[in-house]
Amino acid sequence: MIELSGVTKVFDGRRRADPLVALDGIDLTVDTNEFVTLIGRSGCGKSTLLRLIAGLLPPSAGSVLVDGVPVTGPRRDVSFMFQQPALLPWRSVLANVLLPIEIFGLDQRSYKNHAIELLDLVGMKGFEKRLPRELSGGMRQRVSLCRSLIQSPTVMLMDEPFSALDALTRTELSEELQRVHRELETTVVFVTHSIDEAVLLADRVVVLSPRPGRVRSIVDVSVPRPRVPGVEVAKVADELHELFRGVHG
Amino acid sequence: MNRILLPLLGIMAVIALWWLATIVFAIPKFLLPSPQDVFETYQGQQAFLWEQTWVTVTETVQGFALSIVVGVPVALLIVWSTILERMIYPLLLAVNAVPKIAIAPILVVWLGFGQLPKVILVLLVCFFPVVISTASGMKSTPTELVELLRSLACSRRQEFFKLRLRWALPQIFVGLKVAISLAVIGAVIAEFVGASAGLGYVIVQSGAAADTSLAFAAMVLLGVISVVLFYGLVAVERFTLPWTEETTQADN
Repeated sequence: MIELSGVTKVFDGRRRADPLVALDGIDLTVDTNEFVTLIGRSGCGKSTLLRLIAGLLPPSAGSVLVDGVPVTGPRRDVSFMFQQPALLPWRSVLANVLLPIEIFGLDQRSYKNHAIELLDLVGMKGFEKRLPRELSGGMRQRVSLCRSLIQSPTVMLMDEPFSALDALTRTELSEELQRVHRELETTVVFVTHSIDEAVLLADRVVVLSPRPGRVRSIVDVSVPRPRVPGVEVAKVADELHELFRGVHG
Repeated sequence: MNRILLPLLGIMAVIALWWLATIVFAIPKFLLPSPQDVFETYQGQQAFLWEQTWVTVTETVQGFALSIVVGVPVALLIVWSTILERMIYPLLLAVNAVPKIAIAPILVVWLGFGQLPKVILVLLVCFFPVVISTASGMKSTPTELVELLRSLACSRRQEFFKLRLRWALPQIFVGLKVAISLAVIGAVIAEFVGASAGLGYVIVQSGAAADTSLAFAAMVLLGVISVVLFYGLVAVERFTLPWTEETTQADN
């Protein structure tokens, strides 16, 4: 469970520029095993919010709790996935997936089978020895997903992980992520700027407004899972599109 | 095949032109010896020349290796701490701006006529490109990779050795290639100033004796040293970094 209360983040302006209020008094609770998507225009602080939860940045005010414990730095059971696959180009797929284990100082051999299982789960069986450059963009992001899963995360933070992919691959990966979420039971906070993606994946969509970043509204998505892009999802997405039109004229 | 054939063809063309020029313009041997003169001189003093070549090669390689041993840790310090960077960087630039040939006589005063001052001068020549390429390579590590490691609560040591240094390797090799070509020049300069052995010494001596053929033979050997060391380095690079070569090919 993630609890944010009164979370504010101010970036000091460089060289006499005004300080930038990226987030202003965010209150938000994400339940255990819930899938929440954060959506908003560029500059609404959604990536910053994710980094606060990850412990990569400290909040200027307010408190961030993960499982009831204040976040003071990165935690091993919180994984972060980036827009870029962020794979180390000199490492094989398997070695990339095992990177967190290596950094944690755990025995890599005992995790090897688990890594292979995870690769199998996202349809990457047989690619263990390949180098990242031999893979397509979608495959790289799948490897990246496996790498965040090897941490057995209770919370997965995802910063627009599919936004650099083509539409078809994107849909494919969205479906896979839903399956993974169902099977592995984790809390997910997923940042996106695509309304359709937000609705397809989320239990709740949190809409942020920019400068300063505030929670504009929260929309429950009650479409039964597994979801595929279609009429039901589109209906909720339309509501959100309407909301955005209202907010920003 | 073309990789070997074409450079050979180029060299042969130059030699042919050179030879032709010495015949057509009837240039005296002490001004510009023909390739044949140079080859004959080389054959006559083969053992001596190879001995001197070996001296220059050891100075070059030792100085070059030392520049890596010293340069990479200095680069690490520069990237590690902004305070150190501000302290070291201008100093580094200033030292590099001093012409190395000005340092050579001082090194002789300090360290004598042996091999050590030559090794040190090579080190000085190579140091700058090694430090700069290593530091800028480590700094160019993509933010998402650094953030990824930080999100795993890595230590700074892990960040540097598992990520930044590895990421910098292709750029380090660029610096090393620049350094190795300068290294030979450094060794020869040092030998010019005060030496009793080495190809630089041979060139100075042959100049004094107006034995231009011998000087040319020494220069050809210097060229051979440079080329061999450079391609040796390229081979090491291919072996160490198999993942980079093919990316550049894919980009083309």
